[in-house]
Amino acid sequence: MGPKEKQKKEKQKHSSVVLEERRLPIFLLLPAAALIIFVIAFPMIYSLYLSFTNFTLVSQSAPKFVGFRNYMLLFQDSVFLPALGRTVLYIMITVNVELVLGLFIANAMSHVVRGQGILRTILMMPMMFAPILVGFQFKWIFNDQVGLVNNILFEIFQKPVIIPWLIQKPHGFITILVAEIWMSTPFMVIIFLAGILSISPDIIDAAEVDGTTEWQKFSHVIVPSVAPFIYIALAVRSLDVARAYDLVSIMTGGGPAHRTELIWTYVYRLAFTSQNFAIGSAMSYITVLIAIAFTFYFFRQLIKTRKVRGV
Amino acid sequence: MKKLLTLTLALLLVAGFVFAVGKQEAAAPTVLKCAFIGGANYEELYKEIPKWEAKTGMKVEIVYKGDGFQIDKKLKTDFAAGAVDYDVCWDHSSFFTQYIKADGIVPLDDYFSADELKDFIPMILNSGKRDGKLWIVPRHFDISCLHYRTDLFQDFGLTVPETWDEFKSTALKVQPNLQPGVYATEFAGKEEALTGRFYEVSTCEGAEFFDKNWKPGFNAPGGVKAATMFRDLYKAGAMPPGTTSFVWEDVAKNWVAGNIVMYTEWYGWYSYFQDPSASKVAGLFDIVRQPKGDAGVHGGWAGQHSFSITKASQQKDTAADFIKFITSIESQTVEANLGFLVTRNSVWDKIIADAKAAGNPLDVKRLELAQFQAVNDFRTPPLVAEWLPASDIFWPIMQGIILGDKTPKQGLDEAAAKVEAMMKDRGYY
Repeated sequence: MGPKEKQKKEKQKHSSVVLEERRLPIFLLLPAAALIIFVIAFPMIYSLYLSFTNFTLVSQSAPKFVGFRNYMLLFQDSVFLPALGRTVLYIMITVNVELVLGLFIANAMSHVVRGQGILRTILMMPMMFAPILVGFQFKWIFNDQVGLVNNILFEIFQKPVIIPWLIQKPHGFITILVAEIWMSTPFMVIIFLAGILSISPDIIDAAEVDGTTEWQKFSHVIVPSVAPFIYIALAVRSLDVARAYDLVSIMTGGGPAHRTELIWTYVYRLAFTSQNFAIGSAMSYITVLIAIAFTFYFFRQLIKTRKVRGV
Repeated sequence: MKKLLTLTLALLLVAGFVFAVGKQEAAAPTVLKCAFIGGANYEELYKEIPKWEAKTGMKVEIVYKGDGFQIDKKLKTDFAAGAVDYDVCWDHSSFFTQYIKADGIVPLDDYFSADELKDFIPMILNSGKRDGKLWIVPRHFDISCLHYRTDLFQDFGLTVPETWDEFKSTALKVQPNLQPGVYATEFAGKEEALTGRFYEVSTCEGAEFFDKNWKPGFNAPGGVKAATMFRDLYKAGAMPPGTTSFVWEDVAKNWVAGNIVMYTEWYGWYSYFQDPSASKVAGLFDIVRQPKGDAGVHGGWAGQHSFSITKASQQKDTAADFIKFITSIESQTVEANLGFLVTRNSVWDKIIADAKAAGNPLDVKRLELAQFQAVNDFRTPPLVAEWLPASDIFWPIMQGIILGDKTPKQGLDEAAAKVEAMMKDRGYY
């Protein structure tokens, strides 16, 4: 065997080892991928298919293909479009308020020298409750007869104050916003605190040497520095809020008179009580598209920020 | 040696096969599976099941328990997905038409003789029939009557209303005299509970929820009058501001807290209302037949909890035998003692006699009135699979009427147009 042949054989051996090494992860990932396809992709594709049929929960006959009829019907539905708009508004308000609160609280916490661990744990407590429990808790807080808020008002004004918080416009919508913000702001705080603590002390020191005020330091140094964290948190929370159901369902059920109706409370009623699974599926896909749009936007911003910052 | 080994292996194979076949033959079902309604009082009946197990050698496995709406969702999704692994299911007169349409339950006429059914109150038994076939066997039923505070009626010199007009005028008259936080009346203000109450009052006023061609008729003058009553009472502050968030538990809690003067309520809560440790109104109220409307019809929205056999069941005879046991005189006596309104005439005779012997006049009145209403006023919602979808369209709009977002006529016309479109879409016309 000549040296060339030997080299060729070595090369072949090497490439087969490389191929083997490349195949191994794919092979190892196959069971997980198969499972994901089975439990996520298959139901998603099936519900997408159902959204193009006339399937109802009580129909005996096989679903008939109806094209885009369900999607067209949705846009003629006087409840759907307001619910869609309300859902987008709900996402925008909760996520933005959580962002602002999260930044301020995280910044304040970063200054705490002693007991930060305990403070972090206390702050995370709302996240430990299931949304259903939070829903019941706020339903009681805002109850018009025995609720905490009206009782406090009674103590202040020394006369019965019966404000139907969960009923009136726009109080009902505000109450579900308050509950959602209370429950999820800690998530933002934890993410931003991690971001703030990862800023190099040199940058902060340099800003202080330059004579910046606390506000300037916060707005010109800290916030830009944690921008990647902000976009990740916004993306995660937008997806999360776009799925809002449990809390709203318990507090108001989307009512009264659709005043707090979000997409998922409407989807649930349409699909299960009203038996109309096909339209429910179509509506779900529209919501998924909105969630994807929000996520796409935030990740694009994240990439842009990372490019600017060279990280 | 090799031959011996082969022979042993062959023998083992044959023995294994024979054993497997034997096992298969012996594997006739010994377990009856059920999907039932859950909740403390509902589950007392299930404690009787061991008696049937001892008699038949079968084992009963309750594979699911949930409240009425949870189990309705489960049944519909299971029937649609073909994932039914139970033989007997809870059922309800308001819901069973959905399960017929979903091909999930079977007619029971072949499993129950006329003799076995003759003891059931006819009006209730008939409410479980569709297209001349019996689909559900009644367990217990409920209907509402007017509850009113005897002390407050006396204090304010009120007369017990006999019509919905009198009901409204009494409520409006008394409200200004009540302390803050106390209201003349209340209703459950959301979901099927609201649709049902509207259905009840509008029927009294002469409107039909659906006409004979399944076209909505609730926007007729009788319906408008009923909706106007709800709206006017709320607008005048004669109902709690949170009414549109109330379901059954909420209205009952307000009543036992002593915050309501009169309202229409199911009989099923009676023992709770008369429990002095839980209720401020124990001994302070009376009951009468539901008011009537312009059509001369008394309120009588009613429903029955019941049992059905699933189409998927492989042991329908056994399932029927179990239903006969669970709705027998003995089983119904257990439920009657818990305060449920049972469905067998013979049990009624006994519990009324027992109540008379116990000497509480209201207990006796309650039973006699309920029995009277069961015979004369019992009225289920329209027996159509689209009752709940129609209700889902209706109640948020009705809430809008109550809260003043739209006038009764506007709201009812809008609801009627939507319900008609839905019924058309489902192939009714």
